[in-house]
Amino acid sequence: MQLSRTLGRSRRRRALAGIAAVTTLGAAALAGCSSSGSGGSSGSGGNADSGTLKIITWVNPPAVSALTAINKEFEAKYPKIHVQLQTAVNVATGYANLLQTSVNSSSADIVTTVDQLQPLPLNPTRKSETPTQFWSTNNVFADLSTQPWAKNLNDTAVKAETYNGKLVGLLSGVYQELVFYNKADFTKYGVTPPKTWDEFITLMNTLKSKGVSSPLWLGLGSGASVYVTRFIAEPFMNSLWAPKASGETLAQALEKGDLKWNSPEMIQVLQREQQLAKYLEPSYTGAAWQDMPNAFAQDKAPMLLDGSWDLTSVQKANPTMQVGSFALPGSNDPAANQPVANQDLTFEVLNKAPDKALAMKWMAFFTSPAIYKQYVNMTGISPIMKSGGPYSSFSSKVLGPLFGQGFNPGDVLPALSADQGYWDTATQWPLLQESVMAGSKTPQQAVAMYQSDWKTG
Amino acid sequence: MARRSGKPSNVRLLSRPSRLVMWGGVAIGLAFFLLFGIAPAVANIAISLTDYSGLAGASTSFTGLDNYTTLFTTQWPGFVASLGDTLYFVVGVTVVQNAVALALAHRLQGTGRTATLLRILAFLPIVLGVTVVGIVWLLMFDPQSGPVQAILGHAGIHSAFFGSDTWAMPLTILAQVWQNLGFTMVVFIGGLKAIPPEIFEAAAIDGVTGWQRFRRLTWPLMAAVVTVNVTFAVIGSLTTYNLIYILTDGQFGTNTLGILAFNTAFGNTADLGLGASMSVILLLLAILVALPLVAFLQHRERRLLA
Repeated sequence: MQLSRTLGRSRRRRALAGIAAVTTLGAAALAGCSSSGSGGSSGSGGNADSGTLKIITWVNPPAVSALTAINKEFEAKYPKIHVQLQTAVNVATGYANLLQTSVNSSSADIVTTVDQLQPLPLNPTRKSETPTQFWSTNNVFADLSTQPWAKNLNDTAVKAETYNGKLVGLLSGVYQELVFYNKADFTKYGVTPPKTWDEFITLMNTLKSKGVSSPLWLGLGSGASVYVTRFIAEPFMNSLWAPKASGETLAQALEKGDLKWNSPEMIQVLQREQQLAKYLEPSYTGAAWQDMPNAFAQDKAPMLLDGSWDLTSVQKANPTMQVGSFALPGSNDPAANQPVANQDLTFEVLNKAPDKALAMKWMAFFTSPAIYKQYVNMTGISPIMKSGGPYSSFSSKVLGPLFGQGFNPGDVLPALSADQGYWDTATQWPLLQESVMAGSKTPQQAVAMYQSDWKTG
Repeated sequence: MARRSGKPSNVRLLSRPSRLVMWGGVAIGLAFFLLFGIAPAVANIAISLTDYSGLAGASTSFTGLDNYTTLFTTQWPGFVASLGDTLYFVVGVTVVQNAVALALAHRLQGTGRTATLLRILAFLPIVLGVTVVGIVWLLMFDPQSGPVQAILGHAGIHSAFFGSDTWAMPLTILAQVWQNLGFTMVVFIGGLKAIPPEIFEAAAIDGVTGWQRFRRLTWPLMAAVVTVNVTFAVIGSLTTYNLIYILTDGQFGTNTLGILAFNTAFGNTADLGLGASMSVILLLLAILVALPLVAFLQHRERRLLA
C-alpha cells in the first residue's frame, strides 16, 4: 500500500514534471517569438563602441567580397564590434523578401537597396511607390545629410537619394550597362566596335558569316527578366524615343500622358529587341544570369550584354582576356547612343535600427577615402565621391572614357508600380518583352497591352 | 447511461496523472495549431479585404471585395491565365505521379537487396528538400553546361528548358513528381502488401495473370490507397509555390496560383492584400476540388469492392 502510494506520487510527479517541461518549452518558444519581435521594433539608440552590426544585401559577388573585406578591417579597428553580413540570392526575389521582413521587423541596422528613390511618381501613394520609395518618403530610413561625410558626395549621389531635404541613402556608386567585347575576337574577325544600330547589325551578320553562331551573350534564366529592361529596353528607349519628349523626360511624358506606349517609337524599340534576339545564344531565356561572366570569359560569344559589375568576375575567370566596351546602339545617330549609368547598391540606415549609432559609425568608416577607394577598385563601380582616385579597377580600364558616364534610366522608364495595371508592373513589364523577343507576341500587341493597362498621373 | 452500463472509455482506464499529461499534450498541440494554423488563415481572409502592404509605416484601409473584383475582371489578366497554369500543373502532377509511383511500387515491393536499394533511391528526393531538388534540376537542365543538354546536343537538339515556353511546365511537373514519388510509392507498396496473398493464389489457380490480375484484383483492392495518393497529389500540387519559385519564378507558363499569390504579396509590388485574396481563392479552390474528389473516390472504392 505504502509502496503503491509512493509509486503513485512518483508517477504524478513525473507527469506534472512532464507537463511543466512541455509547457515551459512552449512558453519559451512563444517568448522567443515575441522577444525577437519586440526587440526588433524597439531599438533606435545603441552603443557605438561595442555590439553586433547587422547589414543585409543581395548576392552580388564583387560587392559581397568587398564588403566582407571592409567589415574585417572595421572589426580590426573596432575589436568590440562584430559585423554580421547577411545575404540572399536575387535582388528581385529572395532579397526583396529579406529586405521587406528586415525593414518591417527592424531586425537589421543597415539595409541595401537597388531600386532608385528618384524619380518619384508624380503622385506618390503607397501603391504608386516602390517599397524603397515608400520607406524613403515615410521616415523609415534615417536622414544622413548631417553626417560629416555627406559633404563629399557628388551631385548624382545627393540628387539620387534626397527627399524633402533629407539624404535617405548612401549611393555606393554607378554601374554602366552596355556591350562588352573580346578584343582578340574582334581582331581575329576584322571587325570594329559599332556606333550605330545599322553598324551593330552589320557587325553581327559579319560574325555569323564567319562561323560565330551566337555573336551576343545574355542570360535571363533564374529570374533575370529585369535584364531585358535594363540592358536592352532602356538604352533603346533612350536613344529612339526619349528625343520625342520635348522639354521633359520620357518618364514624365508617359506619366502625364503626353506620350503613349503605343507610339511608333516604342513599336520600333520592340522591333529592334526582336531583331537583336536573333543574334543571342538560342537558349538565352534559360541561361543562368550568374554564368554570364564565365560564358564570356570562356569565349562562348565575342560580345556580352551586361553590367560593369560583372567585369570583376570576367577578369577572375580569364585574367589575360582583353575586354573593350561600347554603348548598345539603338539609334543610327551615334550621339544618341549612350550607356546606361544605373545607380546601384545603396546603403540605408533604419530609423528603428537595433543599433543606429553603430550603423552611423560603419557608414563613416565606409566613406573614408581609403576604404571607399578599396570598394570602388574591388567592385569596379564608378565612384560618387567628389574627390578620390585615381582608381585602378579592371572596369575603369575596360570602360575608359565611358567610366561613370551615361544616362539615368530613371529619366526613361517611369515608376512601374502596384498602382499600374498588370502589364505595367515591374514584374510583368519585361516578361511581355521576352514574349516579343521570342516571337509569341508582336510589338503592336505588346504596346497595346502596355497602353491599355497604363494609368497616367 | 451507456457509459455506466457498458465498458468504461479508454480515457477512464488511464490514471489521473496520465490523463493530465494526455490532455496537456492535446491542449498544447491544439494551442499551437490555433495560433500558427487557424489564426493566420483567418487573418489572411481579413487581410484580403484590405489594401495591407506589409510595409512598416503604411496605413491600411478596408477595401471590401475590391481585391477580388480586381482579380475577376480584366484588370489583372495574369490571374485567369494562372488558373489555366494551375489546372495544367495539378492534372499533370497527379496523373504522372500516381502512374509512375504505382508502376514502381509494383516492381519494387519485393524484399530483395536491389528492390530495397531502389526504394531508398526513389525516396531520397523527399529527404533532400525542395531547395536542393530545385537546384539539382536546374543544374541538370542548364542549357549551357547541363548534362541533359550535353546529351541532346549530340542529336542537334537545343532548348532553354526552364526558360522555354514549351518545356518549362512539363519539366516543372516532372521535378515535382520526382520529389514526391517516393512517398506516393511507399503508400502504394503499403496498399499492395495489405492485399491477402491468398486472393492472388486463388486467381492464379483460375488462370488470372498479368494485366487481368492487375485490372480485376489489384486495382480494385487498392482503391482506398488510390484515394489517399490522389488526394495528396491534388492538394499538394495546388498549393505548391516553393519549387516553382526556385525553378522558374512563375515564368514561361508556370505561373500557378500559388506562385502568383506569393509574388504578388512579397515581390516588388508588396501587395499583401491582393496576394492574400489570391490565397483565399486558392484555399477555396482546394476545398472545392478536394471534397468532391474525395467523395467520388470513396464512392469508387465502395463500387469496386462491392
